Amino acid sequence: MTVAHHPTEATLAAFAAGTLDEGRMLVVAAHLAACPDCRRSVRMLEATGGVMLDDLAPADFAADGLVRAMAQLDAPPAAPVAARRAETIPGLMPAHARLLAPYDLGPWRWVGPGVSWRMVDAPTLPGGRVFLLKATGGTALPDHTHTGTELTCVLTGAFRHEHGRYGPGDIDEADDEVDHTPVVEAGSDCICLVAMQGRLKLNGLLGRVLQPFVRL
Amino acid sequence: MLVRTANPDHSPLGGAVAVLLPGRRSRPFRPGQAMATVEEAAGSVRDYDRLIEAIAARQDREAFAALFGHYAPRVKAFLMRSGTPADLAEELAQETMVTVWRKAALFDAARAGASAWIFAISRNLRIDAARRQRREALHALAEEPEAELAAAPDHDMVAAERQQRVRAALDHLPGEQRRIVELSFFEGRAHGDIAGLLDIPLGTVKSRLRLAMNRMRALLGDLI
Repeated sequence: MTVAHHPTEATLAAFAAGTLDEGRMLVVAAHLAACPDCRRSVRMLEATGGVMLDDLAPADFAADGLVRAMAQLDAPPAAPVAARRAETIPGLMPAHARLLAPYDLGPWRWVGPGVSWRMVDAPTLPGGRVFLLKATGGTALPDHTHTGTELTCVLTGAFRHEHGRYGPGDIDEADDEVDHTPVVEAGSDCICLVAMQGRLKLNGLLGRVLQPFVRL
Repeated sequence: MLVRTANPDHSPLGGAVAVLLPGRRSRPFRPGQAMATVEEAAGSVRDYDRLIEAIAARQDREAFAALFGHYAPRVKAFLMRSGTPADLAEELAQETMVTVWRKAALFDAARAGASAWIFAISRNLRIDAARRQRREALHALAEEPEAELAAAPDHDMVAAERQQRVRAALDHLPGEQRRIVELSFFEGRAHGDIAGLLDIPLGTVKSRLRLAMNRMRALLGDLI
């Protein structure tokens, strides 16, 4: 699989530094599962964090710190978090299925012709949401703009818009200046994992007709 | 800003651990300093990798004490720089080191040096406990074995060299790019905050970060 569209350096750096919210982390992790180049970049950034850590002047530390830490060494570790669901979504890469397994998913809900979505309970930025968006092959999504930022990773199928073709693992990072009209490739459902701030604004007649019904 | 430490460790261990460490280097005697510190005794980053391997191999508590002496106060300092209050930073530094003990068997010096690995552990602990395991799982992807790393070269050399090369690459960045990298990591700031702090557009923050990472990739591409 060749991944063509990557997160911005700012997004990768925030992922490596730990400053990204969990929802956007989840989307970036879905990309990393498919992208060895970005995994290398994250390792490089972590090595950078390590050098910074090593070069810091040490803080004053409690004299009994080591003794207290030593006392904890033999305690049993916390039990791992169990996967929430047995349900699997057809067509997902195994790594993507594992990433989503700890999260509760809402039911699929209708958005428009050929398009549905389901909520992913990952916490994200205030006013943001994380969800799976599914469109059947050949669907043209309404022309839309965003009121905030949107980070999308394709999980299955593919879509195209003005900036190219987006297949499994590809990231589409959009902000409120992007106005796009994605078309889903014929042949298979396209499922995307999306972390979105703000709302979609649908343009055009179809959009204006749908807008009252679309809670995205 | 990065501060190269010129001070000895505030380790409660003092020189007691120093004699336990492998690879001790002799250093010029400095006035006012009676005993070798852990930091000096460790000599090179390779030895921190070795200490984690010793914990993995035989649950070596002396190795743990030596690692603790170097990293616990630095993890605390790191967390305090990103706004964590001192008490909590100390608790999290403790927890980071206990996690190092528990996960030592997962450490692979061919993939990441001790400092990068411990940085990543402390980063994951910054998050509240309920969310932590899920977030760790998201980061774990970047830690999964890579086929191309299977035939790693002599990792003694690699661990020490990598740390030096990463530091050299950082030193090689223009000041304005380095500042963005430091603020991203060090103070845990979001890029929008950095733009506000430096009074530059968000687009400039992002483009400096892109230039910095491209330069570092070019310098480190064969290593990471």
